Amino acid sequence: MTRRAAPVLACVGLLAVWQIASLALESDSFPTALEAIRTIPDILGDKESLINILASLRRMTIGFGIAVLVSIPLGLSMGRSRAVAAFFNPLLMVVYPVPKAALMPIIMLWLGVGDITKTLVIFLGVSLPVIYHSFEGAKAVEEKMLWSGAAMGLSPLQRLVRIVLPAALPEILTGCRTGLVLALITMITSEMIARQSGAGNILFNALDMGQYDTVYAMIIIVGAMGICLDAAFERIRARLVRWSEPQFDMPLSFS
Amino acid sequence: MKVVPSRSSEWVRPVTSQRPASTIIGIDRVSQVFQTSTRKDHVALSDISLTIDEGAFVSILGPSGCGKSTLLYIVGGFVSPTRGTARMKGQPITGPGPDRGPVFQEFALFPWKTVLGNVMYGPRQQGVRATEAEAQSRMLIQMVGLKGYENFYPKELSGGMKQRVALARTLAYHPEVLLMDEPFGALDAHTRTRLQNDLLNIWERDRKTVLFVTHSVDEAVFLSDKVVMMSKSPGRIREVIDIDLPRPRRRNELLLDPRYQKYVVEIERMFDESDEVGSAS
Ligand SMILES: Nc1ncnc2c1ncn2[C@@H]1O[C@H](COP(=O)(O)OP(=O)(O)O)[C@@H](O)[C@H]1O
Ligand SMILES: [Mg+2]
Repeated sequence: MTRRAAPVLACVGLLAVWQIASLALESDSFPTALEAIRTIPDILGDKESLINILASLRRMTIGFGIAVLVSIPLGLSMGRSRAVAAFFNPLLMVVYPVPKAALMPIIMLWLGVGDITKTLVIFLGVSLPVIYHSFEGAKAVEEKMLWSGAAMGLSPLQRLVRIVLPAALPEILTGCRTGLVLALITMITSEMIARQSGAGNILFNALDMGQYDTVYAMIIIVGAMGICLDAAFERIRARLVRWSEPQFDMPLSFS
Repeated sequence: MKVVPSRSSEWVRPVTSQRPASTIIGIDRVSQVFQTSTRKDHVALSDISLTIDEGAFVSILGPSGCGKSTLLYIVGGFVSPTRGTARMKGQPITGPGPDRGPVFQEFALFPWKTVLGNVMYGPRQQGVRATEAEAQSRMLIQMVGLKGYENFYPKELSGGMKQRVALARTLAYHPEVLLMDEPFGALDAHTRTRLQNDLLNIWERDRKTVLFVTHSVDEAVFLSDKVVMMSKSPGRIREVIDIDLPRPRRRNELLLDPRYQKYVVEIERMFDESDEVGSAS
């Protein structure tokens, strides 16, 4: 019970601190938590805002989905083949430390300010952690497990899909969870740089116009989206890798 | 656990295995050299020649590092030798295949599959229908003494149980030769004894060819028809000893048998000598 209540208590606690702080500071640019929360229904009831938020979610889903579909096979191949790793590693080492949002101006020059640019930035942000964790997961797969598969007649490709992939799944999903949070971050950042549509668009337009209630309400909405997505993902993850969870780690006394 | 009922306690081999034995595995002048970081190449196996008869239980015995595993991996097709060839029924071995089933010391089970899923994996891969594969696998699981554990994950099992699953998983796709690399090496003495007994009982049933790597003299003599003694640096065959003890073997009878004791003492002496030779060079 405490496990479930803890995050809720943390949220309530944060909102309470916020409320007290804003009452104490009495600043125009710092509305109280209650004022911000009261603005949420206005935003969610507005058709224009809803279209913006849904557009954000659509881009995020597509960017995240494509990134995962590309990165998992790439990372696994890198982990099992020295040649593939030698080819992609230098490239990834260069791309890794570059903030993906910093690439946006260039991408915008080529592809404009529309969906493709923003989705591409999300894709880039999600790819790297997923590639990295897939790579590490595949590298750690016990060789004897692959030999056992080979003796059963599995081809190299079958071994990659049917042994390396499931064996590395816990690690891959850890990467995907990081990727999901990064998808949300890059989504908002991309909309901040190229306004025009999205949740980030509402937020930063409101900021420009001094509608601070809306700014804070949007922060709550985006934050809640992140928390819900992460919680949903965590549930799926836990179900998929139940076989590797530590609560199972209790050998029974039997020869 | 249940002791698998064996044939009657006849002291002679069944008629089927009395026909002239034919060679199933031929190892012909095999050497294995590993490149090491110290620039000096390491000769793990030097000029090994050995034939193994169909249906024989052959142990490879030797000190740690003498190349036992490497030799087994070469027969399995997991490693290709630097020189020489290994043959299975006359055909050069070029890679792994379902005719040679490995059982590793590390178990190497698929942790995302249940006991049943692990055992069914091979037959399913070979295109056996799901219902049939499941029925066969359940029988095998019972045979290795794990009835009731079909839906457990490897994480939930002890070391001895995991090795039982690994054995069942390999038996499930009917390899002609079992390649066992110190399968009981990671287990405690009591568990080890039980698994040795059960392995012998299972083996007595269908007399598959077994190539069994161990560094335990007792284990080698208790299980084998033939013990191949190796020495190390470089890995060579030192002696091949036929173990002429009646089957089926019962542990409690065998331990009191002077012939068994003589084998153990003699092989132990050779083992000590080869270990000294190994450490002196
Ligand atoms: N892949 C490898 N690379 C380099 N040296 C190896 C490799 N595999 C085994 N060796 C070396 O070869 C020798 C024999 O190893 P192994 O076959 O594992 O011996 P055993 O199973 O008898 O203990 C050891 O000295 C070991 O260090
Ligand atoms: Mg070994």
